[in-house]
Amino acid sequence: MKNRTKLPNIYLGIIMTLMYLPIVLIVIYSFNESKLTSVWGGFSLKWYEQLFKDREMMEAIKNSIILAFSSCILSAIIGTIGAVGLARMNFKTKGMIEYLSNIPIMIPEIILGMVFLAFFSFINLPKGMLTLIIAHTTFCIPYILMMVKARLVGIDKSLAEAAKDLGASEIRAFFDITLPLIMPAVLSGSLLAFAMSLDDVVISIFVTGPKVTTLPIKIYTQMKFGVTPEINALCAIMLVVTIGLILVSTRIGRKKI
Amino acid sequence: MENFKKRKKSKLWLTIAPLYIFTLIFVGGPLIYMVALSFMSRAEVWGIVADVTVENYTKILEPIYIETFVQSFKLAFSTTILITLIGYPFGYFMAKLSPQWKKRMMILIMIPFWTSALIRLYGWIIILQSNGVLDKLLMGLHITDGPLKLLYTYTAVLIGMVYSLLPFMILSVYSSAEKLDWSLIEAARDLGATRWKTFLTVTLKLTLPGLLSGVILTFVPSMGLFFIADILGGNKIVLVGSLIQDQMTKGRNWPFAAALSVVLMIMTSLMIYLYRKITHTKDLEGIL
Amino acid sequence: MRIKKLAVLAMSALLVGGLLAGCSSNKEEKKELVLFTWEGMFPQEVLDGFEEKTGIKITFSNFDTDETMLQKLADAKGGDYDLVIADDYIIETAIEQGLVSKLDKEKIENFNNINPVFQSQFYDENDEYTVPYGAGIPLIVYNPESVNFEIKGYADLWNESLKDSIAITANYRVINGITLKSMGESMNVDDVDTIYKAGEKLKELAPNIRLINDDNTQNALLNGEASVAFLYTSQVTTALAENPDLKVVYPEEGLGFGIMAAFIPSQAPNSDEAHEFLNYILDPEVYAQCIEYIGYYSTNKAADDLVSDNLVLPDDAAEGEIIQNISAEAEEAHNKIWIEFKSECE
Repeated sequence: MKNRTKLPNIYLGIIMTLMYLPIVLIVIYSFNESKLTSVWGGFSLKWYEQLFKDREMMEAIKNSIILAFSSCILSAIIGTIGAVGLARMNFKTKGMIEYLSNIPIMIPEIILGMVFLAFFSFINLPKGMLTLIIAHTTFCIPYILMMVKARLVGIDKSLAEAAKDLGASEIRAFFDITLPLIMPAVLSGSLLAFAMSLDDVVISIFVTGPKVTTLPIKIYTQMKFGVTPEINALCAIMLVVTIGLILVSTRIGRKKI
Repeated sequence: MENFKKRKKSKLWLTIAPLYIFTLIFVGGPLIYMVALSFMSRAEVWGIVADVTVENYTKILEPIYIETFVQSFKLAFSTTILITLIGYPFGYFMAKLSPQWKKRMMILIMIPFWTSALIRLYGWIIILQSNGVLDKLLMGLHITDGPLKLLYTYTAVLIGMVYSLLPFMILSVYSSAEKLDWSLIEAARDLGATRWKTFLTVTLKLTLPGLLSGVILTFVPSMGLFFIADILGGNKIVLVGSLIQDQMTKGRNWPFAAALSVVLMIMTSLMIYLYRKITHTKDLEGIL
Repeated sequence: MRIKKLAVLAMSALLVGGLLAGCSSNKEEKKELVLFTWEGMFPQEVLDGFEEKTGIKITFSNFDTDETMLQKLADAKGGDYDLVIADDYIIETAIEQGLVSKLDKEKIENFNNINPVFQSQFYDENDEYTVPYGAGIPLIVYNPESVNFEIKGYADLWNESLKDSIAITANYRVINGITLKSMGESMNVDDVDTIYKAGEKLKELAPNIRLINDDNTQNALLNGEASVAFLYTSQVTTALAENPDLKVVYPEEGLGFGIMAAFIPSQAPNSDEAHEFLNYILDPEVYAQCIEYIGYYSTNKAADDLVSDNLVLPDDAAEGEIIQNISAEAEEAHNKIWIEFKSECE
């Protein structure tokens, strides 16, 4: 390519550095002996120790994983078959239902939180894990719908038709032909939904009940209360786990090739 | 339509039934209830009375609430403009990288998504607080003498907003720019167009859907992210988001919260409608 | 984003999640108690001690402000939670709303340990519903190194030299209240015009405000973000413990005063366990541990000898003004001037 200067790369580098700067600092300060972040009190692992001893924090992590996992699976099922159906069918209310199902990620989260709190109170649904899963599923579905829909556009419809012509049932054709083809989209949609659910604080704060605290809610209260370096340690661990998973998956990816 | 195709369809409806039911009950239901609620009145101390009234809407017209909407829009606008200025070149340059680097950058952008957004904001507290990292750096370089009061300011909130929402703009612009036919740009250059003109007439035009979807993806959420104003702004900035939250909890006035939400929702839907009109697309680019 | 690797990543994440969820969801039938109060109201040893002694598992649920508590409790129709600790005036509302159940004092042997000074208050005149847990007087604390004059009362907070350097708590009744006090009015004034007047005055305070935060507000003072702070008693105690050079001001306009008390909601699922817990924390030694931890004034006479001197209420202080419930219009006015004040701050 002609006229290629180094400038764009420098720009990318600077912005990336700024994006990672807070994260790096958090990791550094997670080893800080002192409780205050304005002072460096020497190297220490005590916050990690404290983190694992903190029962409430562990409970919150467990809740968050259960929540993200359930709403992710639920929305993957509803979203995937829904997207397949929507792509194959034409009916009057199709536009309406597509629009409606996308609303949860098109409006500010605060509105969603507010309407769910009011609605769940209205229908007398006790607040807790169930309401959390319902609320999270509504905003997870759009991610999966969009991903799968985009993938379906690129798929040759004749493949499934051919399978059916050869005598496969509708269901067989779906599982044998369509599903494997859209699987990458389902998975990346689920991945995004999982991440979004795991990190949601605004909606969860509204719909959670007395006994269920999710990780972001716990972190939010701790931050308002005055942070303990414990959550720095938590962030460092999340980072290591993420990077670890990526490394593992690239390894797997390479072996396949 | 052929007869046998119709027969097939009759089974197909089963696939959309779950989506239909779930969406109608748990998206449609709450939204309808929100609108209904906004026309009710609050009870003396706690609860809702089913007296139909438009008082909640006329209340929004009081100067203090108008001011809150204006403030929120101001913050959302400044956030979006900053994000566009930073994120557009980023997404554009990223699309020009080699495939391998594209993948690496993508992973680098995705990693923070897997750590907590709140904790990442806390990283900014470490930087911005009095005698924090930035203060120490500036004082070490003898640029400033004493600690700057950066935390709990408008600037701090703006930084937090930009930081949290920037990836959405980058991904939108990137997905648009990646599909760009670079030969078009070269052709324009060969035909003697200046760099600037090429950018305006070809590049910008072709990446507009991505840019606009990025604008929506940053503008809409920034109206509601009350916790950033809480944490980095020292609770001093009143946004529509925090107003709704306050009315739901402290203010104990759900009908008013519902009315505020309805107005906010109409405003954001209007933006998305405009986006669709301009780009002739249905889906937002970038989250894909 | 059709990246296969990310898909694999998703799978592994889901797998790990599923495993974790599967491992940890083993059901245990245990007695439990849902405690609903501010974050950091009990030392871990006290909670652990109770669990050890009784086998009752405590679930801690937090709220940030009294009003949030009332909203959640009302939303749960007095159920879900077993024991709530909150401020005096909100308890009055909760009782009026029928959200509180009467105590069965026979189950609370230690009930007589309570200091009578803190009983028979406006919110519970016959001591049927509540057990006081601590008392407080919000005070001004400042760092004499960065404030160049002597602060004597609320009115001094309006001093121009304090630009952008005051941290305040986020309870609007308290902050609006001291504004009223600085004007020589009562904190509980019912006249809407007076409240709006206070609102105008409060707006003038805006340039001096650095931070509005209910929890650990003293941190702002300790780490230098603010040089003056208006703090709850617990925060005053913590601030002084960390930096004894700080100066405490008993405002000349008069003191505010508040009591936090525990009550059992009307539909509490585990009322017996809640009574057991109340009895447990009224034990002088346990109570002393609690009060040393939270840093409020002791409301337990039997524990007074066990706690540090500065946590026993001075005799004259109980004359301070308690925030009480006011008419809905006045409440609305308070809410509004608070929002106006906040949006004036930036």
